[in-house]
Amino acid sequence: MIVQFNHLQRKPAASTTQEVVDTLYSLLEEGRIEQEQFARLRVQLDWIQYRQNFRECVMATKATSDRTEQFPPLEVHIDTRQVTPGCLREAILRNLANSADFPTPGAANPHREGVFLEDFRPFRESIAWGFNRLYWHRLADWEQFTGRGYELALPGGKSDANHPAAVADCVADFWTLLRDLENRKQLPEEIFVMEIGVGMGTRSGLWLDRFHALDRERGTNYYPRLKFLLGDYSLATLERSRPAVKEHLDLCSFVVLDALNPLKNLAFLRHKILHIHLTNVYDNLPDEEFARRDGRLYAVQVRAYIPPAGAQRISKELDVPADDIPRTVNRLLEGGPDYLSDRQRGVAFWQETWQAMRLEERLVSLDDLPDLAIPGDLRTSQLEEVLEEAPSDVRFHLSSGALESFHNTLPLLHPRGFLQVQDIFVTNFNEYRLGFHGPGKLDGSIVNWVNGALLREVGERAGYDVHFAPFHYRKGSKTSILYTTQRE
Amino acid sequence: MTLPILPTTVVGSYSMPGWLERLKTEFYARRISRRDLDEIHDTAVKAAIKDQEVAGLDIITDGELRRDNMIDYFAERLPGVQIDHSSKKFHYDFYDSKVLGKLPTAPLGLVEDFKFLRSFTERETKFCVTGPHSLSKRIRNEYYPTEEEFAMDLARVMNPELKAIAKAGAHFIQIDEPNYSGFPEDLPWAVKALNAMVDGVEAKIAVHICYGNRYGKPSWEGSYRYLLPGILDAKVHQLTLEFARRGGEDLDHFRDLPARLELGVGVIDVKTQAIETPDLVADRIRKALNVIPAERIVVLPDCGCLHLPRDVAFAKLSAMVEGTHLVRKELQN
Repeated sequence: MIVQFNHLQRKPAASTTQEVVDTLYSLLEEGRIEQEQFARLRVQLDWIQYRQNFRECVMATKATSDRTEQFPPLEVHIDTRQVTPGCLREAILRNLANSADFPTPGAANPHREGVFLEDFRPFRESIAWGFNRLYWHRLADWEQFTGRGYELALPGGKSDANHPAAVADCVADFWTLLRDLENRKQLPEEIFVMEIGVGMGTRSGLWLDRFHALDRERGTNYYPRLKFLLGDYSLATLERSRPAVKEHLDLCSFVVLDALNPLKNLAFLRHKILHIHLTNVYDNLPDEEFARRDGRLYAVQVRAYIPPAGAQRISKELDVPADDIPRTVNRLLEGGPDYLSDRQRGVAFWQETWQAMRLEERLVSLDDLPDLAIPGDLRTSQLEEVLEEAPSDVRFHLSSGALESFHNTLPLLHPRGFLQVQDIFVTNFNEYRLGFHGPGKLDGSIVNWVNGALLREVGERAGYDVHFAPFHYRKGSKTSILYTTQRE
Repeated sequence: MTLPILPTTVVGSYSMPGWLERLKTEFYARRISRRDLDEIHDTAVKAAIKDQEVAGLDIITDGELRRDNMIDYFAERLPGVQIDHSSKKFHYDFYDSKVLGKLPTAPLGLVEDFKFLRSFTERETKFCVTGPHSLSKRIRNEYYPTEEEFAMDLARVMNPELKAIAKAGAHFIQIDEPNYSGFPEDLPWAVKALNAMVDGVEAKIAVHICYGNRYGKPSWEGSYRYLLPGILDAKVHQLTLEFARRGGEDLDHFRDLPARLELGVGVIDVKTQAIETPDLVADRIRKALNVIPAERIVVLPDCGCLHLPRDVAFAKLSAMVEGTHLVRKELQN
């Protein structure tokens, strides 16, 4: 048995660790776990930083494979923050029973309790992302129901995107670039800048204010040549951002675009945009995870479900029978909260199901997924090369959505342009061994750490060096800044 | 060898297959031998030659598939250039290379590459070599007092090799100088170095100038306006330029090109995988015909096809040939 425990500094976690080991040994002695299975068992103890997430406090993940293996890899994940003292043994036993055989990928587990919302699939295709989409499209309904704006859900109650010093530094870098291009007689007539994922437009407004002031102060007259694009996939969000840039509306264009592929709408700006900025967009793009175990690579598949207690509560409080929950969820995601008799009840159902929703997991050998597509032009051979440098037993995000977005944004950059992304990055595969990195729930949306090491690889192959710097403007911030420069 | 009107060719490189990239990287990791890699290169070059022939090109290159990139292949051959062989992980990266003393003269081994090409095609050929300005911008100069002197000495060392290539039967040699566009202020001395490099070489000489194609993206933006009139001092027969990606906006600058100069007109955008239609290619050629007579036009992509997948590169070249046929027919009528 391999036990991996993180956050040793937490005393409650340390005591849980002892309890976990004692419990598993007693189950072994009682013959509830086979000796061979015990030998291959991996127990991961995490302190999950998102109080709202998709895991129960104990969760078993089993590997499936076409290969005949009597005891395929089995993992038990325990969130040491959530575990209730005295309940561990029962929870482990229940999860071990629940993880009983699923003979082939796609088959359901007849022993699993709860209400299932989908079959096993990569996380990026999970119904969880339907909830995430609904949140951004119907944000006003959600906010009205909870009585608070989404920025209040962020750590510290506000976005790092809007930190004045960070904006000022970015503007200063950009001005220096323009000056350099002008000195080389290479400054384009139209100076394109783009913000993707504009939120309330606060950062765009701050950036434009600052740039205007700097340009006036230095007498360079770049400001009138600016073409500032505000991009977001929600027209409603773009509308909300207009007041923040009201002093600069003549320079601004509001563009509905898919953050996964900005090039689709903006191909005419290929190689023309001098600066592109994103904050907290990548951490909210569809993602999936891979794991390497015993020298083999596995895809992590998930299946969304509502645990029995949650299903009972929803039935009782919202008058939706447990059997009817999947159908009602589909109606909610298709038609929004109005689809249920009244909006108030619809939002209540939405929030209850979202809070209760969990993801069951299993590992599927990549040998059994021959049609696996990896986004961002990342070839499996390249992934293997990257993994050669990574720890031998690591579970990591593929960051599919972020890779796709990154890959489809870089061609928009002017040869001397730069892309800046503020987000929560794992910049080194070793960091994955130090703790859980999502997914979690942030209000009604999904939040997930982004695999910066893979982005770096994709960037390098596309001709960009990718650097990460800590966001030093706010103490304790987990944000990093990804910065691209042209690769010689 | 008689060429048709509006002859078609590539700029130099052909699509680099993913498996070849991987094998090159394996070589740097010392997992395959030099001898094996040489055989792999021979096979890949033969395939590139055949693909160009089947696509219908009139002038064939070796696809430059032996080359990691446009600098290192030459830096490794130039005596006196010191290379840190541990300085790159991926074959397309640049070596950290430098010059610490005066460059000695010695054969560079390029003649063998040309002979190999010549022996596998009956069609007209073109052999491409990176020019002294671009080499001087990438190989670190720690000896010569100025960049200009370094470039002039590179030209001196490479000149005998070009003469030998011509003597071996090369009728057409192209010098690649993409860095002109990044450093327009260097043009006067860069042209001097180019002239020194091709001095006395008994072959048709082209110079290819683009906006860069590193990793399949431009390295600079701007306008070819900077080339004139300085480039007219170059002792070459053809300018090979990038027009397709930029919408032909620069073509007008070359309306008064002296009659001694041909224009290689880029009609295929190699920085996108979208495949041009023959009609679009024909349209681009017609635009060039408004500026310069057909007898002085060579049809080719904007730059090398190195970064395009093989199927895309082949389809683009086929469309280029088909589009050229459309215009040839119009000219005959």
